[in-house]
Amino acid sequence: MDASEGEGRRTFLGWVGGVIAAMIGGAVGIPLVGYTILPALKRQKLSWHDVGPVAELEPGSPKEIDCIHSVTDGWQKTTTKKSVWAVKDGQGAISVFSPLCTHLGCGYRWEGDQRQFYCPCHNSYFHLDGKVLGGPAPRPLDTLPVKIENGRLLVIYKEFKAGTPAKIEL
Amino acid sequence: MGRQIVQWLDNRLNLGPIRVALLDEPIPGGASWIYIFGSITLFFFLLQMVTGMFLSIYYSPSTEHAYMSIQYIMDDVEFGSFIRGLHHWGASGMMVAIGLHILQVFLYGAYKKPRELLWVVGVVLLILTLAFGFSGYLLPWDQRAYWATQVGINMVGTLPVIGDVLIRVIRGGQNLGAMTLTRFFALHTLFLPWLLMTLVVLHLFILRRVGPAGPWDAAQAAHISEPFWPKQVAMDAVAIGVAFTLIASLALLVPAPLSDPANPSDTSFTPVPEWYFLFYYQLLKYLEGPLEIVGTVVLPILFFLGLFALPWLDRRQGRRPVSRPIVMGAGAGFLLVVFTFLSLSLYEVASLPTSDPSVLRGKALYQELDCAGCHRIHGEGEAFAPDLSYVGDTRSRDWLLQHFKNPQAVVPNSEMPEYGLNEEELSDLTNYMLTLKK
Ligand code: FES
Repeated sequence: MDASEGEGRRTFLGWVGGVIAAMIGGAVGIPLVGYTILPALKRQKLSWHDVGPVAELEPGSPKEIDCIHSVTDGWQKTTTKKSVWAVKDGQGAISVFSPLCTHLGCGYRWEGDQRQFYCPCHNSYFHLDGKVLGGPAPRPLDTLPVKIENGRLLVIYKEFKAGTPAKIEL
Repeated sequence: MGRQIVQWLDNRLNLGPIRVALLDEPIPGGASWIYIFGSITLFFFLLQMVTGMFLSIYYSPSTEHAYMSIQYIMDDVEFGSFIRGLHHWGASGMMVAIGLHILQVFLYGAYKKPRELLWVVGVVLLILTLAFGFSGYLLPWDQRAYWATQVGINMVGTLPVIGDVLIRVIRGGQNLGAMTLTRFFALHTLFLPWLLMTLVVLHLFILRRVGPAGPWDAAQAAHISEPFWPKQVAMDAVAIGVAFTLIASLALLVPAPLSDPANPSDTSFTPVPEWYFLFYYQLLKYLEGPLEIVGTVVLPILFFLGLFALPWLDRRQGRRPVSRPIVMGAGAGFLLVVFTFLSLSLYEVASLPTSDPSVLRGKALYQELDCAGCHRIHGEGEAFAPDLSYVGDTRSRDWLLQHFKNPQAVVPNSEMPEYGLNEEELSDLTNYMLTLKK
């Protein structure tokens, strides 16, 4: 066997090892990535939730109401309670706000004496109609889909991406 | 006896070269107290590994049990509060040690050629440690954990294009819930430890190949050279002893915090991150509207890119700080910003009511009306009327409101008097009741 023949053999064997390693890596690696990521991207079916009689809302004073909804979180089915803010304006139109601040998703509260919503995380302020009055929040409070049936208020609970000027559903 | 065992092993395994590689590495300029921080960091990492493994004996990574399992460790397990305290404060200790270690390397210009790789691996180790801190914070599943993680993940979400997909991948689904907790647990206890360990070995391997940098003054470096063993080892040991004593005393004196159980519907909680993220949290308050992304994405990326690239940005010969004014200025500027924001934040956090003022008013009202004259909460008050310890779990907001307005309309024959509260008082009292949960 001369030297160049030995060299060629080595290169070939190196290639064999490399190809086998790549095959095993791909056969395990690709499923692992899918296993980790794909279940997380599935969307849940959203449904309407009855959150109480419309008549209880008073114009101009927001009300924190519980929205009880069932979520399927992987294998776990639970009912969770989120509180949403319902606001009736002067004309009687009703908006329901998601309870999460549009800045980075903390909970905010109503300050009755100042007549504004306030998020203590990074000091954002919102008007009764959801508009930003001050602070780092990039967009108004997120409204949730609402409808009224037989005098009851129905809401779909969703979350939106925080921190962007555009309202993007998660 | 010990000597004989070593001899016996040495005869078979030829340990001489290994000992030389591990302990006899010469340090230019000799041993010094300024070199102790790397060893302290390594020590804290090992302490975290050991205490973490033992915490996982009792911990259960499920949304229903995580909180209670931590409570069990804290209240019922012998030495549980001490072990968790070590883990909690050890994490902070590790951050401080890393900070000082980086500062020393930075000041000494020890990242310069030929030690670029050592520095790069070090920066990756820093990032992994921050990831450890962030993922570990969620595990107790208390209010702090839940809401701080909510904010943290949302920050990642502000990344353009891939942000929303990334949020769901990190959360493991649409909500922050059971899937998030198991993910973070796996990351914190399996993925990150292995990764970090491998990189620590790599870091030390590179250090041993290129050797420590020593003082910036060439003459001083050439003056003497001492092996790592025994003087530097002794100095490291003393420093580690002091660091451990500090952390252990903290673990004994200040129990690791555990707030109320995570409650996605109680939005009244104001989350505050761990102190080493505080300066950054404060910074976010000033970046409004379109500038927000500068804080959540641009600055952190630039910061870490800058760190990675440092050995190539600062490539002039010579490590003397005075001959590197730009780099030193940048470092000092960074420290100034960090400490300014940190103190601003501490000041604000100290003056922040961590719970909703309305809940506090409700609590005051409860005392004012002498509700404890009939009701009992966690053993306090009369047991004449229903126990309210966990009323937040059993009654809804609406039920409570109606009931306070007109008790008999909701519970016929109730002996509860009607207090004629106004709307605000009604809602305060209800908010307080809703916080009473398991
Ligand atoms: S999350 Fe509300 S101001 Fe930042």
